[in-house]
Amino acid sequence: MARPTEFQGSFLSRISIRRNQIVSMDVNHEHELEELEYFQKHVAERFSELITSPSPHHSSSSSSDAAAVSHPSDPILSIPWLQNLLDVFMSCEAEFKAVLSTTQISKSPSLERVLPEMLDRILKALDLCNAVVNGIDSVRQSRRLAEIAVTALKQRPLCDGSVRRAKRALTSLLIGLNADERRDRNSGGSGCSNQRRTTSRSWSFGTRSNVTGGGSYGQVVSKNWSATKQIQAMVANLVLPRGAEASGPVMPVYIMSSVMVLVMWVLVAAVPCQTSSVLVAPLPLPKHQNWASAAVNIQERIGEELKRKEKRCGGGGLMEEMQRMEKIGLSLMDFAERFRYPADEEEEVVVAEKVDEMEEICRGMEVGLEDLQRQVRQVFHRLVRSRIEIVSVLDQAPAI
Amino acid sequence: MGEFEVDGEEKLIVAAKYVVKELRSGKSLTKNAKKVLGNLLLELSRVVIAEDRDEEDEIGEIEQRLNVVSDKIMTREVDESMIWDLGSDEGNLYLDAVNELRSLIDRLDGSSGLGKAGSEELSLRKAHDVLQTAMARLEDEFKHLLVENRLPFELEHSSFRSVEADHGVEEEAMASFGAASTEDLILGSNNDSRRNSGEIVVDLINPDVISDLKNIATTMIASGYDRECIQVCTMVRKDALDEFLYNHEVEKLSIEDVLRMDWATLNTNIKKWVRVVRNIVQIYLLSEKSLDNQIFGDLNEIGLTCFVDTVKAPMMQLLNFGEAVSLGPRQPEKLLRILEMYELASELLPEIDDLFSDHPGSSIRTEYREVMKRLGDCARTTFLEFKSAIASDVSSHPFPGGAVHPLTNYVMNYLMALTDFSHTLDSLLMENDDVEDLTIPPSPDIINPVMVEEESTYENSSSPEKFLAMTRHFYSITSVLEANLQEKSKLYKDISLRHIFLLNNIHYMTRKVLKSELRHIFGDKWNRKHTWKFQQQSIEYERATWLPVLSFLKDDSGSSSGHGSKNLRPRERFQGFNTAFEEVYKAQTGWLISDEGLREDVRTKASMWVIQAYWTFYSRHKNNVSERYIKYTTDDLERLLLDLFAGSPKSLNNSYRR
Repeated sequence: MARPTEFQGSFLSRISIRRNQIVSMDVNHEHELEELEYFQKHVAERFSELITSPSPHHSSSSSSDAAAVSHPSDPILSIPWLQNLLDVFMSCEAEFKAVLSTTQISKSPSLERVLPEMLDRILKALDLCNAVVNGIDSVRQSRRLAEIAVTALKQRPLCDGSVRRAKRALTSLLIGLNADERRDRNSGGSGCSNQRRTTSRSWSFGTRSNVTGGGSYGQVVSKNWSATKQIQAMVANLVLPRGAEASGPVMPVYIMSSVMVLVMWVLVAAVPCQTSSVLVAPLPLPKHQNWASAAVNIQERIGEELKRKEKRCGGGGLMEEMQRMEKIGLSLMDFAERFRYPADEEEEVVVAEKVDEMEEICRGMEVGLEDLQRQVRQVFHRLVRSRIEIVSVLDQAPAI
Repeated sequence: MGEFEVDGEEKLIVAAKYVVKELRSGKSLTKNAKKVLGNLLLELSRVVIAEDRDEEDEIGEIEQRLNVVSDKIMTREVDESMIWDLGSDEGNLYLDAVNELRSLIDRLDGSSGLGKAGSEELSLRKAHDVLQTAMARLEDEFKHLLVENRLPFELEHSSFRSVEADHGVEEEAMASFGAASTEDLILGSNNDSRRNSGEIVVDLINPDVISDLKNIATTMIASGYDRECIQVCTMVRKDALDEFLYNHEVEKLSIEDVLRMDWATLNTNIKKWVRVVRNIVQIYLLSEKSLDNQIFGDLNEIGLTCFVDTVKAPMMQLLNFGEAVSLGPRQPEKLLRILEMYELASELLPEIDDLFSDHPGSSIRTEYREVMKRLGDCARTTFLEFKSAIASDVSSHPFPGGAVHPLTNYVMNYLMALTDFSHTLDSLLMENDDVEDLTIPPSPDIINPVMVEEESTYENSSSPEKFLAMTRHFYSITSVLEANLQEKSKLYKDISLRHIFLLNNIHYMTRKVLKSELRHIFGDKWNRKHTWKFQQQSIEYERATWLPVLSFLKDDSGSSSGHGSKNLRPRERFQGFNTAFEEVYKAQTGWLISDEGLREDVRTKASMWVIQAYWTFYSRHKNNVSERYIKYTTDDLERLLLDLFAGSPKSLNNSYRR
């Protein structure tokens, strides 16, 4: 997958180049304004790319090859869409550093104030990235369960045994997807009276440490760590610069922070993460500002999805593929519960179609999840690098 | 083919037996008989050709076997106990039944393709149902075996001695920058705990059940239940690894958690990390992989999937700790620990490459390298930070007694401790400009023999060219330290004390270098230069302190240096000397030279000066000056001089009256 925004060079070396340019131009502030304007435009453009011509259909051919090419039509919150989102983030981040490198920190005490705040946000974002990477592992787990169900339901003749096998996988799948708690309780009754043996009836990982939200994702940080809280903490001191600051170097820091928080928020909404509460606070994005309008649009749409999902079963895991998986999983579960041999022929055809779709989601996930995970790690490493660079800029600031 | 009726068949058998008997009797055959037999031969061959088994018969047989096998499997379902608890034989019987069931299904599936008769389809359905039951059962049995036969993995089991105690000394010394009190800072145990990492594989599962597990896995996989098998295996093994981490108090920490830790907590956690990572990589992972290989045998991909799924999250958790440490503020006290982490990481790199060489685990390899690089960067910048920390260590008050300053102590102990990491540090400093380069410093196991050899070969000669980058930086650090000490010495009002302070500190530096691995890094030249430097301070001290005192004992006949003692009478000279000596005594008994040899040296030299001058003056004037004014004999002075530099101020004013 091509990543045009990949930017390996050192930020510091760029600073010196930029500084030389400034010296030669000797019109510091104007140049700053230019850079700021360019940055805002960049953010606006890249984010609107994410919502242009949203396809009403699922990109049914979203398996590996098509995913990379056809991004404008990728449905929101689908794996390819999330990958695009991360691309956008990376490119905004690179642009941000370019802007930052044109400003002289020593001349801007306000910058000296907001950069440490940003460092703190980056730190939180790093932990969020880790949580998301683990969340993706749990989605991968769901995929495996879905694959079992697919294999079982493809069995011909479709008999009780295969349906039982599918049902068991679907039960674990739906618990994992946090879809249906009622089934959770029924799941023990899949034909085994032995108490010792019933304990193994469900494969949900990490059910012992299942705090809230009931995800099947392995817990990697301390129990009271919560993705939602992290995001809330990230926005807590995020204040829109006003007055003279709005055109100063504080502005790009604000914009980049907002972009970062938004992207993290979307990831947390899409991928099941360890979290304490379902409600994710909306970000205070300045609607009226040009750069934010597309971002606000995205935020609103995902917010609606969240609300809808919450009403049904309690939020989290908005990833488009997971939602489809859940929907199909529920209907297959319905089928499995009603199943009496022989299956109604018409129904068997319908089920076969659903099974095919499920299989296709699984196939898409196989490559997609790995790529997405790798990309989240890349974001992680990029943020680490940024943090180090910002720290060294701050370290040098008093010496200038 | 129903040509033969049942009773007809009996006749046929009787007839055939008769024919055979007649033919064996050896009678000659008539032409007619031969013709009939010829026809019979023809008929017989036709029967043999059409001899392919009667399908209904076969179906019947399959169904019959199916019933038998199903009964075997289903009777187990009402039984409470686990099959393998009854022994492997019992388990193998069950597996035989399942495997037969599977082959029966294959035969049913393959028998006539389309248009199966109702009974066939019924059998197939039944077979699949039973197979599903059997598989669910096998999964439970598999899990049960895995869980019940888990062997605890303890670090103690693996011949590692705890290095906790050895670090006690260093602990204190590194407690905080500039507050070191311990003489020696030893991290020596490091080298001991590195050992040739011959593959150590411990049994994570009772080896007796491995073949059972393998058999179950093989059957499940052959039946198309590989995913379920992986699922269960991963789940149990993951729990085991989690438990291991839990038992070794590896906490689940976010990056923020780590950055919020105070140094003591972080230090403890790093030590834990080093121990756990070494064990996990060198023993646990190896054992885990071998276990998965044993269970899944040549079905390598499945074993590999299991392995990676089991260990990925814990590995990432451990790596994340390294990442978090590298993100923390660069405090000098962390350097040794970070170097330890980095060195461990580079030492284990080949093992990691080996363990995760294949696709599903390759992301771990990538992450591992990334963390290693971060730790290396962090170690390097922390080291550089150390230098600037020395430069910026400012005191506002002179250090009491002119003794060895804690900064000197700290810096030298710090450098000494760093020699444990010479190769690592040197290569880190070297690749300064080539950050992306991840060349691994050669493993310590290879280096150590060389170093030992070198020590004996170049016992006295130094080999500073060995660690070029490190030597360069160490030189510059001691220069920075000396410059700082010069600044600090200016805080003393007494010139003599300035010299004592520098004498003490430079001597300390030199001695530290001479007595440790540092001598190889600093080399002879540095040592000679610094020995000269502190000797110079000693001479300066003597001049500053004793020249004015002894000037009273100089007869005016000689060089008149314009001193106030000129033209004094001997009596006044004695008085002057007494007062001056007492002042020196009062001041310099409070000064401290803690190095015994050095103290001895300085006293002896002072003694030589003073006694000789006093003796000459005393012998010449003792008869014409009243005893009142001659307070001290040479013996007195010699004894009194022994009180200098002991660090406890004494006064002579009233105590020495004759």
